[in-house]
Amino acid sequence: MTDKTVKVSIRHLYKIFGADPQGALEKVKAGMGKAELQEQTGHVLGLQDINVDMKEGEITVIMGLSGSGKSTLIRHLNRLIEPTAGEVLVNGEDILAWNEAQMRTLRREKMSMVFQKFALLPHRTVLENAGMALATRGKKRDEFEGEARKWLERVGLDGQDEQYPHQLSGGMQQRVGIARALASNSDIMLMDEAFSALDPLIRTDMQDLLLELQEELHKTIIFITHDLDEALKLADHLVILKDGAVVQQGEPQKILLNPADPYIEDFVADINRARVLRVRSIMTEAAPAGEIAGDVDPADNLESVIARAGGAVDRAYRVVRNGETLGYVDMAEIMRALVPRESGAAA
Amino acid sequence: MATYDGVFDTVGLREWCDEGASDGPMSMADLLAQTSGDSAQTPLTELPFPSLDALNEACSKIPQARDLTNGVEAAFMSARDVLRVVVDPITQPLSWMLNEALWVMTETPWWIMIPILLLITWAVARNWKVVGFVAIILGLLAFVDHYEVAMQTLAIIFVCAFICVLFGVPIGIAMSRSDKLQGILTPVLDLLQTLPPFVYLIPLIFLFSVTEPKLYGIAVILYAIVPVVRLTNLGIRLVDPDVIEAADAFGMTKRQKLFGVQIPLALPNIMAGVNQTIMMSLAMVVIASMVSAPGLGILVLRGIRNLELGVGMIAGLGIVVLAIALDRVTKASLARIDASQSSR
Repeated sequence: MTDKTVKVSIRHLYKIFGADPQGALEKVKAGMGKAELQEQTGHVLGLQDINVDMKEGEITVIMGLSGSGKSTLIRHLNRLIEPTAGEVLVNGEDILAWNEAQMRTLRREKMSMVFQKFALLPHRTVLENAGMALATRGKKRDEFEGEARKWLERVGLDGQDEQYPHQLSGGMQQRVGIARALASNSDIMLMDEAFSALDPLIRTDMQDLLLELQEELHKTIIFITHDLDEALKLADHLVILKDGAVVQQGEPQKILLNPADPYIEDFVADINRARVLRVRSIMTEAAPAGEIAGDVDPADNLESVIARAGGAVDRAYRVVRNGETLGYVDMAEIMRALVPRESGAAA
Repeated sequence: MATYDGVFDTVGLREWCDEGASDGPMSMADLLAQTSGDSAQTPLTELPFPSLDALNEACSKIPQARDLTNGVEAAFMSARDVLRVVVDPITQPLSWMLNEALWVMTETPWWIMIPILLLITWAVARNWKVVGFVAIILGLLAFVDHYEVAMQTLAIIFVCAFICVLFGVPIGIAMSRSDKLQGILTPVLDLLQTLPPFVYLIPLIFLFSVTEPKLYGIAVILYAIVPVVRLTNLGIRLVDPDVIEAADAFGMTKRQKLFGVQIPLALPNIMAGVNQTIMMSLAMVVIASMVSAPGLGILVLRGIRNLELGVGMIAGLGIVVLAIALDRVTKASLARIDASQSSR
């Protein structure tokens, strides 16, 4: 898990909106804050000094409330928005130096995107929409038809080929959006609040679908969301954005157990920790004193362990994967982990 | 003595005014003023506005208002020959097209022409009701012996509307892509739309011979091109920015975006513009009958000139039913396009 190569990398990225972004950039680098900048110069600080590495085959989730700059950030990855300063490296190459033709190739073949409002072409059928990336590359209908149909089936949309997008429900439209991105056969997928417009049940379905596809395809996915539950469910690497700056990033379980500042503490306060935290995040190396009540998987969440203990608080379990003992958990530790860490308290 | 004499005296321009002033023939007003004694005391209630004419009375160096209209005329006349050399050859194809269209539509026997028109209606509208409606209207016009004039009117409308679309859609697309161009063209379109239709005809009469069809052709096109330009521009600007972003994100070229996304999505608006353009062509073609445009308008004009009430009324009603038919056909095709798209 640790030795995966970095696929996309953002280095010292700044974005300032306004008449003279370069002038404002000087001020920001000299230490001026967002509110101050807006008041004094009328420029909006969109992103400041973003550094994120997105590893191959992982889901990197960028989370933040509205206005935190997350949608701006994802659009820098395929240069739908140009940065004020910084670097965006894809496979080690700085794409900001690329010309229009190179960017077009990148967008057509290396990166696909899924949108919050689906953004399907309303005048094309479902099949034509799914094949849009291939058609853009100049393929004829009978050339892309098979590929498009395959991915439509894969996302659970068979037999709707000749429908128009407005005839489908929101969830189905987004399935087309995902099929469209997958059919482009790009290894990087950008998902801009892809499930935010869907109702909760369908959202859960779509998250499961994404995880299932990811299990099989190992794409590099950059996923934007404002929903912490969704972020925790999907993320291999979680980046939390506030006012255009990264507040904390890392493995989601670690962020949950060790929030870096009060902002994130507030954020994680309402989370159902028992369901989100997994055994591997809190297990210890040393065996506890008491007897071992049984074996659990490192990926089990605490909820399932508590259920297994039947509410008893004096049990301990061995964490086993593939016959190998990785560590131990006891119920006391589990209970401790369920209480959010208070500000200032030692970990 | 004129009212504003004093003004020129006080600012010391009297000498400049009188310089080279001829003591030529006196105007009637001056003569009257002289005979009626001292007119220096103008009562305040009769104080004239300091217009060109009033000031000219006091100072002959100030031009009169009629010099302005004369000036415009002289300027136009001096530019006319140059304008003619440029505009005449460019617009010549319009004359040919109009002549050909008029010839084809009036010379083709009615039992061929009417089915062809109905076939076109079917191709555009795909609606049997509309085809039936058009058949009834054409039959009615032919039955009251207005077939030939109606065909002439239609021929002119077809040619002019075609040219309006041919130029209007690209102009609208260009406008939608450049805010600067939109800033420049919007006042021009406003001018074309608000200028009274008769006013178009005045300079055109001086430019072209009245016997040439392009004279009224240009008038109709200038008047009717506005909506298709405006609505093309608007339609493309109204395309959902999310969809445009998706097109960009998947690496579409500008060309792919224009023909694959923007124009298809703007089509309902463009078609609404075409509908308006056709209706405005019809309105103008009637007025253009004053400069020898053939068709139903000639009969309306005859009705006015000779006070032939019946002739004018029947021709007028003929125009109304023709307008309804054209409107229904274009609306039906608009509805067809709308139906195949999302009804957001």
